[in-house]
Amino acid sequence: MKTIMLTVNGEAYELAVAPNDMLLDVIRDKLDLTGAKKGCDTGACGACTVIMDGEPILSCMTLAVRCHGREITTIEGLAPRGELHPLQQAAIDHNAVQCGFCTPGWLLSAKALLDGNPHPSQEEVRTAIAGNLCRCTGYKKIEDAISAVAGRNQGVVKGKNRD
Amino acid sequence: MANTDLDSVEQYDAIGTSPDRSDAKSKATGRAVFIEDMHFRGMLYGKVLRSKFAHARILSIDTARAEKMPGVRGVVTGADIPVLHGEALKDDCFLARDKVRYRGEGVAAVAAVDEETAEEALSLIDVCYEELPAVFDPEEAIKPEAPLIHEQLGAYRHAPGIEPISGTNICNYFHLEKGDVDKGFAEADLIIEDKFTTGMQQHCTLETHCGICLIDDDNRLTLWATNDSPYRTRKEIADALKIPQINVRVICAPYIGGNFGGKGGLKAEAAAIALAWKIRNKPIRVLFTREEEFTSAIVRHPSVIYLKTGVKKDGAITARAVRMYFATGAYAEKGPTITRFGGVSGAGPYNIPNVKIEASCVYTNRQLSGAMRGYSGPQAAWAYESHMDNVACKLGIDPLEFRLRHVYTDGDTHASGQEIYSEGLKECLEKIGERMEWGKKSLGRNRGKGVACMERAVKTPFGSAAFVKVNEDGTVDLLSSTTEVGQGADTVLCQIVAEELGVPFDWVKKATPDTSTTPYDTSTTSSRSTFHMGNAAKAAAADAKGQILKLAAELLKTNADDLAIKGGNVYLKDNGGSSLSIAQVLGKHFGHSATVLGRGFYYPHLEVPVEYFSTHMIFWLLGAHGVEVEVNRQTGEVKILKVYAAMDVGKALHPSNCTAQLEGGVSMGLGFALYENFIFRGGDFLNPSLLDYKIPTALEMPEIEPIIVECAHEEGPYGAKGIGETTNVSLPPALANAIYDAVGVRIHELPITPEKILYALKQVSEKKTQQRADADPATVGNPFGGKK
Ligand code: FES
Ligand code: FES
Repeated sequence: MKTIMLTVNGEAYELAVAPNDMLLDVIRDKLDLTGAKKGCDTGACGACTVIMDGEPILSCMTLAVRCHGREITTIEGLAPRGELHPLQQAAIDHNAVQCGFCTPGWLLSAKALLDGNPHPSQEEVRTAIAGNLCRCTGYKKIEDAISAVAGRNQGVVKGKNRD
Repeated sequence: MANTDLDSVEQYDAIGTSPDRSDAKSKATGRAVFIEDMHFRGMLYGKVLRSKFAHARILSIDTARAEKMPGVRGVVTGADIPVLHGEALKDDCFLARDKVRYRGEGVAAVAAVDEETAEEALSLIDVCYEELPAVFDPEEAIKPEAPLIHEQLGAYRHAPGIEPISGTNICNYFHLEKGDVDKGFAEADLIIEDKFTTGMQQHCTLETHCGICLIDDDNRLTLWATNDSPYRTRKEIADALKIPQINVRVICAPYIGGNFGGKGGLKAEAAAIALAWKIRNKPIRVLFTREEEFTSAIVRHPSVIYLKTGVKKDGAITARAVRMYFATGAYAEKGPTITRFGGVSGAGPYNIPNVKIEASCVYTNRQLSGAMRGYSGPQAAWAYESHMDNVACKLGIDPLEFRLRHVYTDGDTHASGQEIYSEGLKECLEKIGERMEWGKKSLGRNRGKGVACMERAVKTPFGSAAFVKVNEDGTVDLLSSTTEVGQGADTVLCQIVAEELGVPFDWVKKATPDTSTTPYDTSTTSSRSTFHMGNAAKAAAADAKGQILKLAAELLKTNADDLAIKGGNVYLKDNGGSSLSIAQVLGKHFGHSATVLGRGFYYPHLEVPVEYFSTHMIFWLLGAHGVEVEVNRQTGEVKILKVYAAMDVGKALHPSNCTAQLEGGVSMGLGFALYENFIFRGGDFLNPSLLDYKIPTALEMPEIEPIIVECAHEEGPYGAKGIGETTNVSLPPALANAIYDAVGVRIHELPITPEKILYALKQVSEKKTQQRADADPATVGNPFGGKK
């Protein structure tokens, strides 16, 4: 066991972790933040995506001991006081959620994208979520939601874009 | 039976609008609870030891070392639970007994204090096998000399209408005839024959399978599951363990992370039950890894389909014969009913006077095939729709025109003998034709357009029940065992209750399915929920409303008939001004202890005898796809320019959820069409991971134009039918037809890889060179010798 310091969603934690503990298991099992999902545990699906120091990472492929001193945002940190992040609101408005298992993952990929690039192109949006598999939606409504927040589709952002 | 008098959108408050999905917020905030988030005090973790052989006799299993390992709470083998389960055919064991029939089959399971310990203990179990000859191809498996996979086939219990052939590997044979095919073929000017095959696709739900089972000393079993159908599961368990249904409680996880047919029956549940059967009074969880999803859950049936069609020179179809083989893997799973449905729809949604269909469900030594989005629809449509284009091409008739000429319409007779009604398929095809500017706009060199359509039966006749519980404040709990698997059932059912009862949509909440509280439902499958459970919920809401109006009539000293409810308030129909809230009506009668319970049940009654999986349906799922492609002749790569997706939904209760299904279906159909497939080398399975088995990402998705067709069904709630199951079905043949239009090659085997296209292009050019040498080019490809 090794002790690490982690800041998760603004809160500081001191945690004892085994050298082979993955960040995903630590945040789910030790911190009870279950929004990050385990879809494959091999870095192939993106359901476990969290943001570490501004970058989206696959927490199932990240050793917890290597996160010492890092700052992490999980889906629970996106709406800390019950107020929805614009991306979460857009996900609802654009009907971009079906089974919901992939949703936290792509929302965090999208947040990391928009934080660094507020006006991404359609292609940049697609590339940013290319690592987040979704078997339900066909991605169209997900792209619409992200693009709406990116402000490119003026007018759509405010109202609902339902066909 | 098409109902043209149904009310228009304007008259509804909740129906035909697209309110926010009731589950969207909890899912977008990460608060939604899935089974992997559930934890119980004292819970043990189970892991399964899996067979490394495709077919082998189990000579011995030694679990002694594993049992002694610290942290291990028990080890179970097939001998501990020597019973069989299954849906239509009871041939499956909880853990293998005597022999293993596929690579990946569970042989033993360990329960331990954590997953790592359980996993480690597996390596301490010694199994001695004697390898047996295996068979993988369905056409090989039906040969008399093929190794027999189930020696006891003739002794298995099965549902009526299922015909296993003892002493063979055929676990169901389905046969259907209409008219006289021999006569039909004799009348034909031309007979066209084709063979098509499909690969092995997996659901790849983002959430893997999981079951948590607790069995106490009194044989009372509780199963928490990520399962699509709690009642069907309860029956399967109670039947297998020979305990009363009341002692089996199946509770669904609040949310299920995708289904597509994959989460029915006993998958991870089987191992959890086997462990709990031996290790009592402890909840035991078995959660599949992604690899187990590929090796040991279920897949879509690989198939081999032969079609033969007789036509007149003028394009009239005189006969069609279809022979289908569905490879069901080592155990029947839903194969028998899949074969039945595939058989019923084998000739396609066409008006053909003489039809003969034979469909066989064949055991092989592979992982189990079962229900997957479309059931056997995608295999059947891949064959009959690729074939339709072939036939049209041979006749020199435009393929869309050929379809429009033959597609059945109301009053026609289906191959099953049932009269067609409420049919919106022609409109789907016409709309696609219009949007694609079919026959008008050419796309240019190496580009092409293709169209395909499909039919798929909704499982009939099966019932659904619902309770509507009106609370003291007028809010409403909907008790229904339909599971929310991502399709939006919770939302649409709440819309129906809100509409019928006259309360705002957000006053209604659907309960999590639990066989001890939510009433009976057959299954959340087959796109049956909106129609069947929708009807039950509507009836339950109407029942509750009737009770409330009666109570209000007493208070208002009037007749219940003169009252209505809107926005949660009861008012006089003539004088909308004076009103009482539902809470006031209940409060004035019952003080603080008010409640009203409405009951609803729906069961489709048909004019044919009741049968398990009837060949006559309460409705048909009907739809079509149009695809525009560009093919790279150098690399064989296919670029999809645009997809048009149309479905006849009867009535779009939540239009945005309909387009969501159409878009999702395109991605699943596209994966099946272009690359999703299991790769085997003999008994070895080479790509059991999402890294090696690719499903579409955002980058692969083309532009999609969803088209909703509404041909109302008079028995459907507000005219609705269903949608989700079949939005992938006709995409692969539409794509293949577009490829043919673009570069003139016909692909017969799914998936359509660049290699297959290159190979076919090469063959075409060789053939052309040959033909140029000895024929007049104007007649090439036209068997009647006329100019095309
Ligand atoms: S769980 Fe981490 S990528 Fe799939
Ligand atoms: S919504 Fe189900 S996987 Fe994306």
